[in-house]
Amino acid sequence: MTDIETLPSVYEGSDGAELTALRRFLIRTGIGIMVFLGLYAMALLLTPYDPNTADFLSRLQSPGAAHWLGTDHLGRDVATRIIYGAGWSVGLALVISVCGAVIGVLIGLCAGAGPQWFDRLSMRTTDSFFAFPELIAAIAISGILGPSTGNMVLALVMVSWMRYARLTRSLTLVLNQKDFIVQARLNRLPFWLILWRHFLPNLRLGLLVLWTNMWSRTILSISGLSFLGFGVQPPQAEWGAMLVDGKAYMLTAPYLMIFPGLAVLITVLALNLIGDQLRDHIQKPVD
Amino acid sequence: MKKIANGVTGLICQRLAGLLAVMFGVSFLTFLLYYFAPGDKALAIGQARYSGEGDVQPEIIAMIREEFGLDKPFLSQFFHWLSPLLQGDLGRSLVSQEEVWLIVIPNLQETLTLSITALLLGLGLAFVLSVVSAQKPGSLMDRVAIGVASVGAAVPSYWLGLMLILLFAATLQWLPSYGSGSFSHLILPATTLALWVMTTQTRLFRSFLLEAQAAPHLEALRLRQVTETEIFWCHVLRHALIPAITMIGIELAALLEGAVIVEVIFSRNGIGSLFVSSVMSRDYPVIMCLVLLSAFSYVLINTLVELLQDAINPVKRVTRVVV
Repeated sequence: MTDIETLPSVYEGSDGAELTALRRFLIRTGIGIMVFLGLYAMALLLTPYDPNTADFLSRLQSPGAAHWLGTDHLGRDVATRIIYGAGWSVGLALVISVCGAVIGVLIGLCAGAGPQWFDRLSMRTTDSFFAFPELIAAIAISGILGPSTGNMVLALVMVSWMRYARLTRSLTLVLNQKDFIVQARLNRLPFWLILWRHFLPNLRLGLLVLWTNMWSRTILSISGLSFLGFGVQPPQAEWGAMLVDGKAYMLTAPYLMIFPGLAVLITVLALNLIGDQLRDHIQKPVD
Repeated sequence: MKKIANGVTGLICQRLAGLLAVMFGVSFLTFLLYYFAPGDKALAIGQARYSGEGDVQPEIIAMIREEFGLDKPFLSQFFHWLSPLLQGDLGRSLVSQEEVWLIVIPNLQETLTLSITALLLGLGLAFVLSVVSAQKPGSLMDRVAIGVASVGAAVPSYWLGLMLILLFAATLQWLPSYGSGSFSHLILPATTLALWVMTTQTRLFRSFLLEAQAAPHLEALRLRQVTETEIFWCHVLRHALIPAITMIGIELAALLEGAVIVEVIFSRNGIGSLFVSSVMSRDYPVIMCLVLLSAFSYVLINTLVELLQDAINPVKRVTRVVV
């Protein structure tokens, strides 16, 4: 919530130096992500093990040459499971944060630029949704509908769209006063065209910061929900679900818990750092 | 539309009206969740009431359906559900047939003990860390503090809890790993939650401090030869605390949420573990009560914080622009 308040209202740095710095940062991050995806694809192709096939002859082996991060109680390779688990944790989080963003931005745009009654109605709705603590609402929704991956996705989208809606609305309200918007309205451009061509491009950067932030939060939520049993179900190799499996072998095989947790930690930390950098780049011209 | 709130009373009324609207919205959403829950609710209630008596008669189920208004259209079902709640009757648990209040209150006490201990501990740590780091921005101490906060924000709390158990309970055997009751049972869960509070608060409070330190009037004080210590404690800190109060309030509400995972890991009694077990057993009256409780406490704390801010910051009180 604080991030939203400290964000600049609109990106106004039109002088070239700042923009190229931002562009350079985005390109560098993009390349970094590409390299990472390449390594990930290579790991998927090169691992000799299957993430879900049990191999009882090699149960609970400590990290070694054959199994870099050891094996679990069913003899499955932990490193392989962590790699496949990234698809669940990071990939699902991506899907969820994009869905939440689309819904939230649509509502926020219509609230900020649309008729008064819609603004009132949607903001009261947003407030009401906001009142539920994220995790409690997500557990209630996915638990009552029946624990499964699909219901978890639904639950997490339902608890995440409000942040986008609020940010979009507050940025839109500022834009509403700008001359180019007023002119577009005077020229009787269709409402959706104004939104698409005049509002959205100016919201891009602020939303990008929030989205990186929400992506990493969602990774934490997914693994937390799976840990409690309300998310991705075993035997799927999700990081939170792997921790539950490892919990029983805490004393004899602590690495079963340590490595999946580290995977979450490193991923979330990396995303957070990208988000922080991005925010610093965007904020500089305004300060 | 913009309008200026006239005076303190007007402002309080406005906030209370907003509070009521949101509370109504919260109740409606909670009911939606109940309404869309799969399965026959009348059958579930019947089976819970007459457990151990074999199959429940269809007539009894029909009676229950009428009693709870489950055969009525959507909106009248909502009011049928809402009216006992307004009178303070939360119903009985489907599992133990006890009054929901009697189950919730002892658990609430446990959770509050845990959350408040964690909040005080976490805020204390965050305060020390942020004051130290804001003394010299960019220094080694500052970077270490920010590093700790960034890494901490990325640590999943369930993993942190398990690691603490692994270290202090399993390996060193200093503290008990699960259960509740004595002070030593409180240390590990409270630390887990406190570290979570610390990481979220340190960076915020640091930025509030830096902002307050940059205020131009401090230069005037320095010219009047006010000592640096006095400037910090009497001027910088005071200004930094205003935004901090908001965050502390929101943190308290968020702690109820954080308690869920921590209580499950450490097998403590409390709202969180009660919530998880009642969701598992689909004990709707308990689930509804806890969902409403957490949402209402969040809304109430938020409103209180806003009122408190109006009281502290006179500028907001006089001309608050309501959009």
